[in-house]
Amino acid sequence: MLKELSELYKYRDLLTQLVVRDLKVRYKNSVLGFLWSLINPLVQVATITLVVKYIMRVEIPNYSAYLLVAYLPWMFFQMSLMDASQAVLKHHDMLKKVYFPREVLPLSMVIANLIHFLLAVAVFFVYLLVIGTPIVATWLLLPVLILIEFLLITGLAFFISCLNVFYEDIKYIVSVLLNILFYLTPVIYLSEMIYTKLPAATRNIFFSLYQLVPLNTIVIAFRKLLLPPYSVPPHVKTAFELKDLPFNYEFLAITGVISLVIAILGYAYFNARKWSFAEQI
Amino acid sequence: MEYSVEIQDVKKTFKLWHGQAGSLKSMMLTFCSRKPEELQALKGVNISVRQGETLAVIGKNGSGKSTMLGIIGRIYKPTSGNVIVRGRVSALLELGAGFHPELTGIENIYLNGTILGIRTRDMKGKIDEIVQFAELEKFIDAPIKTYSKGMVMRLGFSVAVQVDPDVLLVDEVLAVGDESFQSKCYSKIEEFQKLGKTIIFVSHDLPAVRRVASRTIWLDQGLVHMEGSADSVVDAYTIDAVPGKEDKDAGEAN
Repeated sequence: MLKELSELYKYRDLLTQLVVRDLKVRYKNSVLGFLWSLINPLVQVATITLVVKYIMRVEIPNYSAYLLVAYLPWMFFQMSLMDASQAVLKHHDMLKKVYFPREVLPLSMVIANLIHFLLAVAVFFVYLLVIGTPIVATWLLLPVLILIEFLLITGLAFFISCLNVFYEDIKYIVSVLLNILFYLTPVIYLSEMIYTKLPAATRNIFFSLYQLVPLNTIVIAFRKLLLPPYSVPPHVKTAFELKDLPFNYEFLAITGVISLVIAILGYAYFNARKWSFAEQI
Repeated sequence: MEYSVEIQDVKKTFKLWHGQAGSLKSMMLTFCSRKPEELQALKGVNISVRQGETLAVIGKNGSGKSTMLGIIGRIYKPTSGNVIVRGRVSALLELGAGFHPELTGIENIYLNGTILGIRTRDMKGKIDEIVQFAELEKFIDAPIKTYSKGMVMRLGFSVAVQVDPDVLLVDEVLAVGDESFQSKCYSKIEEFQKLGKTIIFVSHDLPAVRRVASRTIWLDQGLVHMEGSADSVVDAYTIDAVPGKEDKDAGEAN
């Protein structure tokens, strides 16, 4: 793997060029251009807020902020994995004609998505400051969170982009799984709601297992480290009791390790099969 | 004498999946019943190319010429056998790999150059030369979707020859383009020859083979059928290719 990495390093300029191309091409012929990567999550968040708050009548103060802070990392995850299925396949002309380290294809795609994510996060911070959210020291952990999520996504993207060359059903499977995962991950609801629903006797075990799923902990971490603890002012009446649980840093560390392992396994798997892409396409 | 490229008993087998290739359903079906059809593109080829030599490879469609270039160019891994390449290889297998229609000529030059393994900072100094060689000064800031096919090809070739390889692989690309561009390409190849580069090229253009190649290999059904000076091999190949002698290969063509 070290040999592969040093070869990849030699081709780092190609990686840069592919990322630049991705960013330039994506919104080339649209008037609003890059703004679309902001409009998309904002419209989603506004719609979900509307449904949850005013139609389903679930009273969570400041819900849209809690939703948005989880929706942005979710969107990074979703967009990347959707793109991953085509990341290798759509470059078949290059694969058949030129030698280059094949891994630049999924990598450049994830990095391009990362840049969109970072810009959205920057805008989100402006929003936090505007609504007067207190600045807290845990904001400094944001780069760590982003790195962990990047590793997780990269590892999965290696598997998906590689498998989809051989079995094109993968892209449909991925899109179905992402639909389910959106509801399983604590994006539109708080992880505490899961916790209170678990039977009291086995609550801690199941909630630990729940947090071993890397994406769950990543989304929980974004919410708890960037926003103040969820609390209900005494004069507001809510349908159910909900106490904010403290953030468990152990699970963040475990998630970091799991994500790193997924990234390494994904890269190893990709490397094992990358020279048969040209024969398959 | 130093060899640039040594191919030792190289075999290459492609797996052909009939019917619905690339779906889980077909995988399940084939797992239970059928095996893929195997296509032996190369059946044990030995070739050594000296440094500075220009080797032409001729042969009918399906004889394994392109597969062989692909193996030297590291696009395919051989099924068995050894390939030793000394120095930097550049392949003119297809011009303009990775060109994106929405990007301008300049943007595509950078992209294509880095695909071929050139560093961005090295590209910067070469931009003028590339644009000039491609004769695209007026259009270089326009997206290449507005280019004609010939313009795209000229741009691709101009970038590809900047790579400064030790071993240059050429596959048919010279067969396209108008005459003035073709002659430009050939003079570039002669320039490479004078610089002592090793060139391996695949062509159906027999007069070009006679003119450019110092040695020629005739591949037939994945094996070296004949090897020798360009004239002797091309002569034999021409006699073999007269109508009527094709029949024995008719089944193999597909």
